[in-house]
Amino acid sequence: MKKGSFFSRSIVRIPLIIWSLAVLYPIFWMVLGAFKSNAEIYANPWGLPESFSFGNFVDAWSNYNIDSSVFNSFIVTGLGATLTLAMAIPTSYALERMRFRGNRLLFTLYISAMMIPMVLGWIPLFFLLMQLNLLDNIFGLSIVYAISQLPFSIFVLTSFMATIPKSLEEAAAIDGMSPYGILWKIITPLSTTGIITVTIMNMIQFWNEYFMALIFLQSEGNYTLALAIDYISNETQYTNAWGTLFASLVIAIIPVIVLYAIFQRRIVKGMTEGAIKG
Amino acid sequence: MVQSKRQRNLFLAFCLVPTFLLFSVFTLYPLFNGLYYSFFQWSGASSLAEFVGFDNYRRLFSDEIIPRTILHDYFLVVTKVFGIMILSTFFAVALTQMKIKEAPFYRIVFFFPNIMSVVVIGILWMFIYNPSLGLINSGLEFIGLESWQRPWLGSEDWALPSLVLPSVWAGIGLFMLMLMGGISNISKSYYEAAEIDGATEWQQFWKVTLPLIWPQIKISILYIIITTLNGSFIIVQVMTKGGPNNSTHVMGSYLYEQAFVKYNFGYGATIGVMILVLSLITVFVMQFLMRREKVEY
Repeated sequence: MKKGSFFSRSIVRIPLIIWSLAVLYPIFWMVLGAFKSNAEIYANPWGLPESFSFGNFVDAWSNYNIDSSVFNSFIVTGLGATLTLAMAIPTSYALERMRFRGNRLLFTLYISAMMIPMVLGWIPLFFLLMQLNLLDNIFGLSIVYAISQLPFSIFVLTSFMATIPKSLEEAAAIDGMSPYGILWKIITPLSTTGIITVTIMNMIQFWNEYFMALIFLQSEGNYTLALAIDYISNETQYTNAWGTLFASLVIAIIPVIVLYAIFQRRIVKGMTEGAIKG
Repeated sequence: MVQSKRQRNLFLAFCLVPTFLLFSVFTLYPLFNGLYYSFFQWSGASSLAEFVGFDNYRRLFSDEIIPRTILHDYFLVVTKVFGIMILSTFFAVALTQMKIKEAPFYRIVFFFPNIMSVVVIGILWMFIYNPSLGLINSGLEFIGLESWQRPWLGSEDWALPSLVLPSVWAGIGLFMLMLMGGISNISKSYYEAAEIDGATEWQQFWKVTLPLIWPQIKISILYIIITTLNGSFIIVQVMTKGGPNNSTHVMGSYLYEQAFVKYNFGYGATIGVMILVLSLITVFVMQFLMRREKVEY
């Protein structure tokens, strides 16, 4: 067989290796830059640092409010992911298992919201949050985030719940368990895998999100990490404090790398399946 | 089952109503309200909203920047679709058909940028494009092509094309994996049959692989179109803020500038309506163009 011969495999490897370098080199170099002094970045921007110093991290942490924005990002991420689950699990169960009029319609409504550009809604949402006193408020942002990921979560959870055998619920109902009990004690534990997948995807989404935070948060004390980094980046044009900027980028990316290292397969599965809704 | 109809309905309401209420308030209501705002001139103070009929729409059609933003958006759509699809198809075929030992390594590496924040990607690439320190200009100097050096993001001609590379860089992994999923479902016997008939690898790719992964290709293209039209403004906002001289403004970033920087909320909403209409039309047209008989052998 010609396929997979040594020669053709070697030729194919060249673009693969080049692309790997194109992905990894900028990321490695960003991490290295975080440990370099500014003078070193100017003298030798793409080389190895002469000595590793944590000065940039200290500077970012204490002089650029990265500490409070990391805290805000954790709150928004955790609260957003919890709220999404609280809303999505009962709805997914009802949509997947119960017959009622308008079931298909409601499901279609949620799913089609994944394809609608939300930019249009952000202007009225801005004023709605203002009226509710939730503008420039990380709890308000958490609610907005949670609802923005609701369609995706319902989509994944319903397809997951469809694989749970119906006989378990029927047996529990015959034993006199209430539907609330069935949802909480049978369906939720059996959907753990789906719930974890959805939660990781949502957490990465909320941790990374930038544009809604830009619109709905205003004071620096409420900035999430993405906004704080963008702020430092804009400052860098004048201060040229590249090292500090890289340090803050590294802080932003570490939780994502950790999640990816642990849940690589789940994340990949969640994202490819989320895209195949079309 | 022993539960009464009333109990059942109560449970149904418990499951559906709170979620649907929140969804309506924070998603459906703002969308319809945005449509309503597009008929008002409004700078944010609630007492001053003035009904202006179709004035905002007339302004939309006479605004010289609008056609440019649309053009920029579709430039990004087309270049991203071609860039991402060609590269990810090549990588997907290479990693599934060529028996490469370290394939899992490439999968893990290529996918990683997909879960990085757009802010991190944008800033990283701003530095790569940096005129004096950046990787691109230093690289060109290194191989002796100083005349090709440019202030990439600062040049009116090059800023927009410069935004394509980061988007392709960040997008490849996801689509490569989607296509790999399609390829791994193709039965080996088709390739064996093609081999016996004397088909070259190139012919096998065009006659066997491509038709059989067409559903995945179609979904990928639609997904790139939707995410670009609904989200290209994020990387624009991070990297260029629409500049220099509006040369990178896309519809979404122009909306942001009009509404949240210049406080023309009514006009901003009108731009939002345009984005909604254009992206729905584009998706329908593409779905029509890419429809194709399901291939089975």
